[in-house]
Amino acid sequence: MSQEFNTEGMLDIFLFESGQLLEKLDELVIEKKDAESFESDDINEIFRVMHTIKGSSGIMMFENITKVSHKLEDIFYYIRESKPDNIPHMELVGYVLDVSGFISGELDKIRDGEEPDGDESEIMENLEKFLKTIKHEIQKDEKKEMPPENVYVAPSQFYIPPVSTENSHFYKIHMTYRSDTMMSNIRAYSATYALKEVAEDLLFTPEDILTNEASADVILKDGFKMLLQAQCSKEEILEMIDGSEVEKIDIYECSAKEYQLGFESNDAVIDLTSTVEQIEEKAEKEKKEPKPGDYVIKSKEVGKAKKLAKNEVKPKQTFISINVEKMDQLMDLIGEIVIAEAVVAQNPDLKVPGLDLTNFTKATGQLMKITSDLQEVIMSMRMVPLNPTFQKMNRIVFDSARKLGKEIELVISGENTEVDKNIIENISDPLMHIIRNSVDHGIETKENRMAVGKDPKGVIKLTAKNEGGKVLIVVEDDGQGLNKEKILAKARKNGLINKDIEYSDKEIFQFITLPGFSTKEKVTELSGRGVGMDVVVKNLSNVGGTLEIDSVQGKGSTMTMKIPLTLAIITGIVLKIGSSTFVVETNAVKEFVRVSEGTIIENPTGDTAVRIRDEIMPLVNLGEKYKIEGYQVDPERDVMAVLEHEGKKVCVFISSLIGEQEIVVKPIPDYFKKVQGLSGCTQLGDGSVALILDVGGLI
Amino acid sequence: MSDIIEEMLEEEDTQKGMYMTFKSGREHFGISIKFVNEIIGIQNITAIPESEEYIKGLINLRGKIIPVIDVRLRFKQEPLEYNDRTCIIIIDVQSTVIGLIVEKIEEVVTIQDEDIEPPPKLVHGNAMNKYVWGLGKVGEAVKLLLDPDKLIKDEDLEFMEEAAEEAQAEENAEA
Repeated sequence: MSQEFNTEGMLDIFLFESGQLLEKLDELVIEKKDAESFESDDINEIFRVMHTIKGSSGIMMFENITKVSHKLEDIFYYIRESKPDNIPHMELVGYVLDVSGFISGELDKIRDGEEPDGDESEIMENLEKFLKTIKHEIQKDEKKEMPPENVYVAPSQFYIPPVSTENSHFYKIHMTYRSDTMMSNIRAYSATYALKEVAEDLLFTPEDILTNEASADVILKDGFKMLLQAQCSKEEILEMIDGSEVEKIDIYECSAKEYQLGFESNDAVIDLTSTVEQIEEKAEKEKKEPKPGDYVIKSKEVGKAKKLAKNEVKPKQTFISINVEKMDQLMDLIGEIVIAEAVVAQNPDLKVPGLDLTNFTKATGQLMKITSDLQEVIMSMRMVPLNPTFQKMNRIVFDSARKLGKEIELVISGENTEVDKNIIENISDPLMHIIRNSVDHGIETKENRMAVGKDPKGVIKLTAKNEGGKVLIVVEDDGQGLNKEKILAKARKNGLINKDIEYSDKEIFQFITLPGFSTKEKVTELSGRGVGMDVVVKNLSNVGGTLEIDSVQGKGSTMTMKIPLTLAIITGIVLKIGSSTFVVETNAVKEFVRVSEGTIIENPTGDTAVRIRDEIMPLVNLGEKYKIEGYQVDPERDVMAVLEHEGKKVCVFISSLIGEQEIVVKPIPDYFKKVQGLSGCTQLGDGSVALILDVGGLI
Repeated sequence: MSDIIEEMLEEEDTQKGMYMTFKSGREHFGISIKFVNEIIGIQNITAIPESEEYIKGLINLRGKIIPVIDVRLRFKQEPLEYNDRTCIIIIDVQSTVIGLIVEKIEEVVTIQDEDIEPPPKLVHGNAMNKYVWGLGKVGEAVKLLLDPDKLIKDEDLEFMEEAAEEAQAEENAEA
């Protein structure tokens, strides 16, 4: 076992775990924000979250987090114990969110490698005041006896030189962790580490807690047992061991003999030295509850905790968290398998005339089935519901509405829609921006709403749904809508307007997505700095998504984000233009048609168009555009592909079609400058590289 | 002279002073084998439109898609048709993996530091001057030692500076 106590891994776990707890906390608090008060389950939950964060931040020595969480824990401890019925609920919700916001902020700092140096004094003061208020009121009203203070004793360290003397005591320590504790092995190790300072001898089981992750399960099931020889008292030991997530700590003092017998002495080893009476007495003793020397963390209230655990039957953990990098790697490998399989199945060596391939075809068919299943599974593994992202929006609406003094309800639907993990990461920020815009600019103040005869409470609808291989996320508000004239005026000022063109409403609204465009004169904390919508659109386009804006003045606006389900694997049609191979996403292909030369129109500027069934569409000559050697368009020989992107169509001539296949999208190396109309590259079954056409870029 | 080369040479003694030499046009070039990953035969190359002439395109190297450049075209020499002698040297310069198409691989030679002279100001008066950091003497012959970093970047510098300026401008707009 290494002597260095490595906190690197623990820091990750701390960040991950605390982040998750805070998310849960936010969700719970926001859900209950309109209720009269928190129910006892909620209070227990908030208490538990704060207790855990307090404990783990204590180990990690993030003092301000420990302080703040401890204070909030105090408040909830008090609420839980004395059940005051006149708590200002909204105020309490505010404080909980403040604390959660503060801790989140500190966690972010830690994550970025900075020192968590946020000043907690203001929050502490507020919480202290709040605690006093509710306590004071209770005392005045009911003269109830005060519950014992939930005193947190800061972990202090004792150093006693580890020399075995007659003063040494022998202890058996049995720690039980709550069944949902994560990484209990690491926690157990931190306990052993804490005791090392005082231990003259320390044994523990399971032994391989650091190296064997499975030991976490053993600890959860059987508890974590330690044998300790030290000079300190039980109380001191208890202080040293980190109590977070621990359900129960039993510390027995035992004789040196028992100590030498090891862990099993209590039950399995026959006690030859004691008399029968002694043994009986011991058995009697052991039956008694509580056992002598049975130390329980006071604030935990074992009985209650157990009852809670029984009430909500916790399903066995069926989730594991995986590093996204590993998932990406797996994804890449599967992409390779798919390609390697095509290399085998379409190997030119097989094209010997008269070769009997019946069995080969059967075998490859089987292989293909398995690989496609495999691919499906990995794809589904990467799909995560939008729910957590949407829940975050709840918090944002609540926070920003509170700041602006508006009353806004967020209605969420379709939150179970699943999207690729990579995409979720990229849409969270844009979505946040759009929602903030709606709260800030969209929904009017209460007074203004009432003046125009609207419900003073504004509604923002956040909806997600699947539509044709894409996910639509719609943010709809019933606010004042976009002011077309204002946008036009601003666009004119910025020289964005072409006088000869009549703009449709949708086109006018698209102006707000241009950089530096914000019609809001006043810059607020939330939005209006002119970087916003353009960043939204940029972020969305990074994952192949688009933003559509619709609005009726006075009635509200609708922002629709269209995003692809997944990024990495697409079904594409492989085609050839001259000697070059290209791939087009199948969804983008409208049709293939043959046209006669007479339908091609060329205007004096050199732009070409083609007329197919009374529809005139622009024609792009890719051979010319990309300077493909030895290729000339020949309408007699070539096929025309009609491609569509967001309702706009474009036609290209292609020399031949190869077929449809699943392809793994890879970026074109940075070494190349960005080429318009190309979105990536891929390797085909024969090992050659093909370029992926980006239809949007051709239009 | 590039700092990278020195730094890396000091790191691994076994490869110190070893250069992979190849022929391009009338000249013989050398590149420190520190940078050389492997040598493969000529492959199918997928051209990327709108790129520099010397950048031939992409090849598939066991599932990795990497760019290849033609050294002859890079040095503004006459293009030469590829044949079975043509090779691609895969080099790795600061994590950029790139293929160099050369007309003929020669050998790996050891050149001591004292046999390397800095290039005279106007060695050739043409493009390749700026990619050569030293002249290595091997017997009677002279190998032009290439700085791979400059070889693969250089002309993109302008473009990159532009991009950096753009990013700067964006940041300013945000602030």
